[in-house]
Amino acid sequence: MKNFISNTVLFLLFLSIFYSTFLIIWVHYAPSRFKPNIIYNMGSYGFMYSRLSEIKNYENTNILFLGSSHAYRGFDTRIFLDKGLKSFNLGSSSQTPLQTKVLLKRYLERLNPKLVIYEVYPETFTIDGVESSLDIIANDKNDLHSIEMALKINNIKIYNTLIYCFTRDLLGLDNSFSVPKIIGNEKYISGGYVEKELSFYKASEFEKKEISLRDYQLVSFLEIVKMIKNKNIELIFVYAPIPKVNYQRYSNNHYFDSVMSTYSKFYNFNEIIDLNDSLHFFDSHHLNQNGVKIFNNKLIELLDINKSRTNNK
Amino acid sequence: MLFNSIDFAIFLPIVFILYWFLTNKNLKLQNLLIVASSYIFYGWWDWRFLSLIIFSTIVDYLVGIGLAKQENKSKRKILLWTSILVNLGFLGFFKYYNFFLDNFITTFSFFGAEINANSLNIILPVGISFYTFQTLSYSIDIYKQKLEPTKDFIAFAAFVSFFPQLVAGPIERATNLLPQFYKKRHFDYSNSVDGMRQILWGLFKKIVIADNCAVYANQIFNNSEYLNGSTLVIGAIFFTFQIYGDFSGYTDIAIGVSRLFGFDLTQNFKFPYFSRDIAEFWRRWHISLSTWFRDYLYIPLGGSRGSTWMKVRNTFIIFIVSGFWHGANWTFIFWGILNAIYFIPLLLTKKNRNNLETVAQGKLIPSFKEFSFMLLTFGLTMFAWIFFRSENIGHAISYISEILSLSLFEIPKFTGKSSALTIIFLIGCFLFVEWQGREGRYAISDIGQKWNRTLRWIFYSLIIFAIGMFMPSVESPFIYFQF
Repeated sequence: MKNFISNTVLFLLFLSIFYSTFLIIWVHYAPSRFKPNIIYNMGSYGFMYSRLSEIKNYENTNILFLGSSHAYRGFDTRIFLDKGLKSFNLGSSSQTPLQTKVLLKRYLERLNPKLVIYEVYPETFTIDGVESSLDIIANDKNDLHSIEMALKINNIKIYNTLIYCFTRDLLGLDNSFSVPKIIGNEKYISGGYVEKELSFYKASEFEKKEISLRDYQLVSFLEIVKMIKNKNIELIFVYAPIPKVNYQRYSNNHYFDSVMSTYSKFYNFNEIIDLNDSLHFFDSHHLNQNGVKIFNNKLIELLDINKSRTNNK
Repeated sequence: MLFNSIDFAIFLPIVFILYWFLTNKNLKLQNLLIVASSYIFYGWWDWRFLSLIIFSTIVDYLVGIGLAKQENKSKRKILLWTSILVNLGFLGFFKYYNFFLDNFITTFSFFGAEINANSLNIILPVGISFYTFQTLSYSIDIYKQKLEPTKDFIAFAAFVSFFPQLVAGPIERATNLLPQFYKKRHFDYSNSVDGMRQILWGLFKKIVIADNCAVYANQIFNNSEYLNGSTLVIGAIFFTFQIYGDFSGYTDIAIGVSRLFGFDLTQNFKFPYFSRDIAEFWRRWHISLSTWFRDYLYIPLGGSRGSTWMKVRNTFIIFIVSGFWHGANWTFIFWGILNAIYFIPLLLTKKNRNNLETVAQGKLIPSFKEFSFMLLTFGLTMFAWIFFRSENIGHAISYISEILSLSLFEIPKFTGKSSALTIIFLIGCFLFVEWQGREGRYAISDIGQKWNRTLRWIFYSLIIFAIGMFMPSVESPFIYFQF
């Protein structure tokens, strides 16, 4: 029995070394069709690598933006800076509360914002968060929070990518990696915003659906609220504008509004401003630069009216 | 609890440690631990149905004791029928009630009579077909005086509910498994290591082969009306490997886990897709069920003795019942009939016991003749699986009609075709390993035995790496749980 246990432990050690090493070789040399369970996109779509590289030099902001691509494509940090508000946009593709919590644990202290504007989109409460986790794991240094996140989502793609990234960090691979500021028709703006060349959306019909929130995402959401409020930071939830055809597909928008407004101040901009699906959006989710200006100016106006702490600087 | 879940990965080491370190000095306590962990294992799915197992255990235990005491033939018969009625009663209600009701109504409405009866929303208790057959065999064997009843209730409860094989077999005979609960178990290093190896191979079959094949098999079978013949053939091939990987994978894990606890279970699969005829296939596929039907149904009916008509009748009965055992659907019955049709010519020409040895024993590759027969048998089996997988008979017929149409010669069209090529490549690797290991108890039982430890560990690590790299994101339950 002693032999069996000691050999099992030895084998597990051997396996962990073999698995991590072989994973590195596999990622670099195997054809992509043989790598379905490792999605390692450093500096991928959404400029997460640039954002996380920049955040390390950022301190004491007025506003911290959180949320999905609606956030990093919706809150233009330049517009806020023009009004004297230093801000950082920590949005990432399909960011769900689970990832928001991890990012907050890592960066809230450093950024020390007076106000957190958390972009809330129903879909991010209904999905498992695999895409966003992979984005954060591949583009940031990993720690215990990453493991906690991986265990919660429990997806093999996340485990493999996490193992790969731990080994990568340990061996110092990709240390010299950098991302250009402009990729295709997208430009990374200092402070985390991503600007897309002006284009327009051709609206199409959407299938009707109902918002149904995932339990573990709600739990993380409540933890986020608690974490921010415990630090005495003002928290505002914002449902960023999306094209009407997309917004009206949800049969129970009021349910989502009522959940959000239970926990803090909540602005649903789909009900506050009237935007045109074609003129102010570039796809079924995201505002173009014309739409961003209207949205951001209205938000600043509302912050002024409500005298948020950011303005009492 | 699924074998391929994190829950089980935590559950197993805990039970293992308690079993060998805490209760190893007391056999009764060890058996009690098996019962408790088996009930937790089963209750993880739905604790309410534990009552069925417990009730069935109590009834068969008492019937066993009663049969031993009773010498009066008619009273012994009553006792046996009590066991049969209780076990088959549960099975009949939970599994077949709606089937019989629906067919009853359909038949009467065909003759113009309107009957109002509502189907019940019945949940099928996982593994009910397996444990009821196991307890039934106990009562029948005592009745036939082939077995002494046990007085040790805990050992008997452990025999009925033994968690590695509780929900999907192998269906153990009391003559094999029950005595193992009476004897003190000693930890055996090489047996346990071999068990771990078998678990590993079972996980590979389930996670890499079956679950990946399931993605395409489901996609193709669920949309068969829009797809051409060649695509449907690919769907059938995927299902053929899915069901084998799934069920034999489960069995390997069950046997491997049992070995960690010092138990030896019946071999349930012997590389059935390398069979040269259908008779050989049925000696190698779900052996514990085939032999159960052979011993408790086929032989009592007269077996292959008697007139040609009797042989044909008995063969049909055993295959139809076997099909019906799988589920309350005409598709399973047709699957059984089809297999009987395949089998009968061999039986009547006395060729059903031609291929008793493993194919190409001691050789690297089969002869052309062996290969052709293997391919033919594989094709026949695959054709029968179409009925097994289809939603209903109409679905199966339209599926087969499309295969037999000219669209068979079109290029296959389905979503994810290029990823499917990766799975086909994996199936190729899997078949290669299975072929290499076809003379062992399971495919990798002998592979690497003469290698040094590092090489062996690299081999096992590669299998684990393949599982990690190719497992689908969503864990799927084992197909045979529904039976």
